[in-house]
Amino acid sequence: MKKADRVFGIIGLGLSLWCYLESTKFHYMAQFTPGPGFMPFWVGVALAVLSTCLLLDTFKRKPSKLDDKKILPERHALTRVATILLLLFGVRFSMNILGFPLTLALFTAAILSILERYNLFKSIGIGIAYAAVTWFVFEYILAMGFPKGFLGI
Amino acid sequence: MEVLGNLLSGFAACLTAYNLGMAVLGAFLGTMVGILPGLGPSATMAIILPITFGMDPTPAMIMLTSLYYGAMYGGSTTSILVNVPGESSSVVTAIEGYQLARRGKAGTALGLSAIGSFVAGIIGTFALAFTASTLAEFSLKFGPSELFCLVLLGMFTIIYVGGKDVTKSLMSMVIGLGLGCVGTDIVEGQSRFTYGIAELLDGVDFVILVMGTFGIAEVLESAEEFMKIEPMKVKFRELFPSLKEVWQCRWAILRGTFVGFGICCVPGSGPTISSFLSYGVEKTVSKHPEKFGTGVIEGVAGPESANNAAVCGAMVPMFSLGIPGSGATAVLLGGLILYGLKPGPLLFVENADFVWAVIASMFIGNIVLIVMNLPLVPLFASLLRIPYSFIYPAILIVCIVGAYAVASGLFEVGLMLVFAVCGYLMKKADIPAAPMLMALIMGPMLERNLYQALNLAHGNVLVFVQRPISATLLSILALTSIFVAVKRARGGRTVQEAEE
Repeated sequence: MKKADRVFGIIGLGLSLWCYLESTKFHYMAQFTPGPGFMPFWVGVALAVLSTCLLLDTFKRKPSKLDDKKILPERHALTRVATILLLLFGVRFSMNILGFPLTLALFTAAILSILERYNLFKSIGIGIAYAAVTWFVFEYILAMGFPKGFLGI
Repeated sequence: MEVLGNLLSGFAACLTAYNLGMAVLGAFLGTMVGILPGLGPSATMAIILPITFGMDPTPAMIMLTSLYYGAMYGGSTTSILVNVPGESSSVVTAIEGYQLARRGKAGTALGLSAIGSFVAGIIGTFALAFTASTLAEFSLKFGPSELFCLVLLGMFTIIYVGGKDVTKSLMSMVIGLGLGCVGTDIVEGQSRFTYGIAELLDGVDFVILVMGTFGIAEVLESAEEFMKIEPMKVKFRELFPSLKEVWQCRWAILRGTFVGFGICCVPGSGPTISSFLSYGVEKTVSKHPEKFGTGVIEGVAGPESANNAAVCGAMVPMFSLGIPGSGATAVLLGGLILYGLKPGPLLFVENADFVWAVIASMFIGNIVLIVMNLPLVPLFASLLRIPYSFIYPAILIVCIVGAYAVASGLFEVGLMLVFAVCGYLMKKADIPAAPMLMALIMGPMLERNLYQALNLAHGNVLVFVQRPISATLLSILALTSIFVAVKRARGGRTVQEAEE
């Protein structure tokens, strides 16, 4: 956990610098009131102080059981999480090309076949079923206007 | 008497077929969420929120609130039958509940937890009606400087009482405040942190943040491993505890109700803390504390009553002051804003029909839940046999749909995924996401009230200490902060570590 705290502390310092730089683009004060730069400035200051405290704490504190805890899971679990995230980002970028139902059907089928080791035909079947139900509820009934792909749906 | 009159008018408003249908739907979804491990009530409410955009605020809020306390009812089922809590407030139920189940008394434990939840829900709702309206009436005297101090106090109380690492929680809160700065500022109308992205001009939508950091991040954590659950079988006739057992638990239920409601009126405490406290109280007052851990029915009835009463308690600051008491009430508060309502003391004045209808619906929701939970527990328990591998893709799809629904654009879907990655890493690093969410909602309120207070006082910053209520609130904040700082300096690193 010490390692995680250090990484988070450094990220916090980076974010605080970003907030400070952003705040300099605006007025700190208006006539009587704080200006647009006031809040980002103090967010930056607070984050810098807290990040420094967290970083210093990692050097100062006595080792505890929490420090032995691994931040990220085992390789197998991490692969599962990374695959899901990759597929999710795939959905984001392919929806305009493939359309809403086809993207969701492929997404579900990919999760079930790649990660859960289901038979390909079963995965595709479940994927189509999920996509059909979602399309029926959200597009057909609620008319949410999802992106259409090359198939026209 | 005025409260009773308002409650009656609330019943008149909420007793329509549509509103009742929403209460039943919310209760059903809540029970399912409570039963199925891997998704909490906050995440589910956030996922469902965009779907309710087109609805009238009253039925939408009725559905969301019944989902919230439905999750408290349902959470006990998995704790008792499989020793895997469906959500965090049922962790303590597993200690005694599972032992009772192993002794063949699963039905008794489930029945007592449902009865305790029902009694606590009804008493808690009465207490909510009286407390929230009184507090709202008092807080009508608040001006911008008082509201600024109140929001500040609320935010810090959430951190101090929340029981997590204070530094990390504060960092999470400050990041949330930073996210609240994104968009057009209220003073000069300038764009901050937008970098020419038009979608960011209105700021970061809290729904996107919740679905990413709570919804998808929770799913990612649950999906790390294959999840296989084998629940114990319960028969319908075994679900009703004997009158002797119910009578034996009467004080545990009342104590749990009192502890749960009282504790959760303080922002930040939440149902989990109250259920643990209630368990501690039961163990302390018991004539046989040594038997705790072996299957004591008071150890189930007390905490289960506490977590249901806590839901009502957490709604007191939300309805009366516009301050969320927990992650779940932060989502509800965000919902109020999205529906175009103004959370805070004026809610009871400007939207009295809405507030009383929602409070009245909580009585109905509790009745629906006890009817649903006692006879249908075997059916709900059978849901646990559905493989998680079938459930999580569906949750992810609903999240994608929900994010898209916020602004009918894929930018929000991408932003949600970025928050999901951050939320997952924050979970791994033990950084709570709830303060960030609360700060995102309350940050703009804080900035607006600061701006208004200083504008009215012609820039005099002493306005915050010259007015008695704001000075009192600031003093409480200062004293609490000193207490926390001293405690931290003396007694080790965190409250959480001390607990562990």
